[in-house]
Amino acid sequence: MVENRPWLSFLTHLVLIAGVVIVVFPVYLAFIASTHGSGDFMRGLVPLLPGPHMLENYGRMLNEGISTAGAPPVSIMLMNSTIIAIVIAVGKIAISLLSAYAIVFFKFPFRLLAFWIIFITLMLPVEVRIIPTFAVVANLGLLNSYVGLTLPLIASATATFLFRQFFLTVPDELMEAARVDGAGPMKFFRDILIPLSRTNIAALFVILFIYGWVQYLWPLLVTTDSRYYTVVMGIKRLAATADAEPLWNLVMASVILAMLPPVLVVIFMQRLFVKGLVDTEK
Amino acid sequence: MATINLVDLKKNYGNVPAVKGINLQVADGELIVLVGPSGCGKSTLLRMVAGLETVTSGRIEIGGKDVVKAEPAERDIAMVFQNYALYPHMSVRGNLEYGLKNRGTPRGEIDRRVQEAADILEIGPLLDRKPRQLSGGQRQRVAMGRAIVREPAAFLFDEPLSNLDAKLRVQMRVEIRKLQRRLKTTSLYVTHDQLEAMTLADRLVVMNGGLVEQIGTPTEVYDRPATLFVAGFIGSPPMNLIEVSSVANKNSIGTLPAKTDIIGIRPDALFIAPQEGASISLKGSVELLEPIGGESHVHVRLDSSGQSVVLSIPGRPHLEEGADITLHARLADIHPYNSDTGRRTDSPVANL
Repeated sequence: MVENRPWLSFLTHLVLIAGVVIVVFPVYLAFIASTHGSGDFMRGLVPLLPGPHMLENYGRMLNEGISTAGAPPVSIMLMNSTIIAIVIAVGKIAISLLSAYAIVFFKFPFRLLAFWIIFITLMLPVEVRIIPTFAVVANLGLLNSYVGLTLPLIASATATFLFRQFFLTVPDELMEAARVDGAGPMKFFRDILIPLSRTNIAALFVILFIYGWVQYLWPLLVTTDSRYYTVVMGIKRLAATADAEPLWNLVMASVILAMLPPVLVVIFMQRLFVKGLVDTEK
Repeated sequence: MATINLVDLKKNYGNVPAVKGINLQVADGELIVLVGPSGCGKSTLLRMVAGLETVTSGRIEIGGKDVVKAEPAERDIAMVFQNYALYPHMSVRGNLEYGLKNRGTPRGEIDRRVQEAADILEIGPLLDRKPRQLSGGQRQRVAMGRAIVREPAAFLFDEPLSNLDAKLRVQMRVEIRKLQRRLKTTSLYVTHDQLEAMTLADRLVVMNGGLVEQIGTPTEVYDRPATLFVAGFIGSPPMNLIEVSSVANKNSIGTLPAKTDIIGIRPDALFIAPQEGASISLKGSVELLEPIGGESHVHVRLDSSGQSVVLSIPGRPHLEEGADITLHARLADIHPYNSDTGRRTDSPVANL
């Protein structure tokens, strides 16, 4: 819409800026807190400018952690979180691409049933089936392992559904042309379907990476060994100290560090995402 | 270069027969056009030859080999689709190369063939573009290029021009004809546009309801339609099919073959002026006058049956709408049919 109404654009900008301030201020506060000394934040007057202890706080969290709170160095937890989030995102995309491909392009008995069974699992959040899932993972001896952390989360009905909807829009002639051109099922999948799905894959990767990154309950259940802690659950441990005030400056430093990778993923993938939108079009 | 042989080819969708037994022999280098109304089974037939539909019964031989069980890629055919079906993420060059790459053609050979096809179709400057950057006509050329580079035994065209605008369609029609003459590749071409069918075909296959109504050269089919259906389908405006009882001067009907109860007269074989020699006449009133440039179409409602017939007259006749009129037709121009069998009642037409 092209409109020339100065007051309207002033008002819309005002609303937008107010929204941004509301969202950004807590993050800013977390950053400020992470640059001060241990007690500064509890003195009643909340500082609004960066303090002198930034490098010290971040260095300590990255390298040592807080052993009294049972938290390993943040660098280890960041590594764990990254591995888990990537495995979950890539695994979810790979599995749902393949299952959507099977459901849309192949005729086999009960394929509609298969689709509906997958679809119905959408209605069951992880938390509902968490006890049986835990029992299975524990019996398989997968506690305190990357497999145990990722495998139960790796199937995705949502992604399968999205890819199915996208595949349904691909014209049949494209597959027929590929068949006449001598492309078998896997070749068609690899050479034509995946390149066409690139934008969907990029968008889903962002969403699923963040989904994996923010997992809290599941890592909390299956890890007792601090080597496998993820950063999101680690922050909870840092904040829940028994007898003393939490060391807020260090907690906030971890929070800022925990926030960085998803932000980077969004920024990086956004460029790819837009590029994909511009490049491919039917 | 190959012949195509269809032997008693049938296709059922569940219990519904779509193709009810087709026999067709396509000679090497021939362009056969399958024409018929929607749902007559012509596309299904083509897709069976391509290997995109399974065959219920019968045989398909391409170059003497039975290919009923073969995958599309093994049949040595190339297909041009109605919506072109270009791979949207590949450049034009990528589209042309894809089939050759899948066959493991050497790089040098691929480049030579792509260059050749690009020269023939004049799409050289477009090779690095993506399909969405092309116009409809250019996409059409690329789709044909994708067929040409394969140097297949046969081309299969599935209504390739129906997504183009009228002017471009005429132009591409001519080009397809020239191209096919030049490459001498056996071709099957499906269309519902009878003008396209008439101008392109070496031989025409008119289909209706899953069966072949008539096979012949365009002139044969036009001059001697074998059935009532073909008579009504080929030609524009269509042939007038009139019950014998509507004819005014009954005495001349005696000379028609036995069992004739419907006669067909082409619009250009009806005249306002009385004709010399044996002729019949029809009485009616002018219903509508359509001037279309060089000629005019006159719609006449017959007095006896209330049926509307069309005649085309060169120039612009001075006729009042609503005026009484008598139409004349030479007996030699009349196509006699029997309404029960739907076939001609004079010497039957060989269907090969």
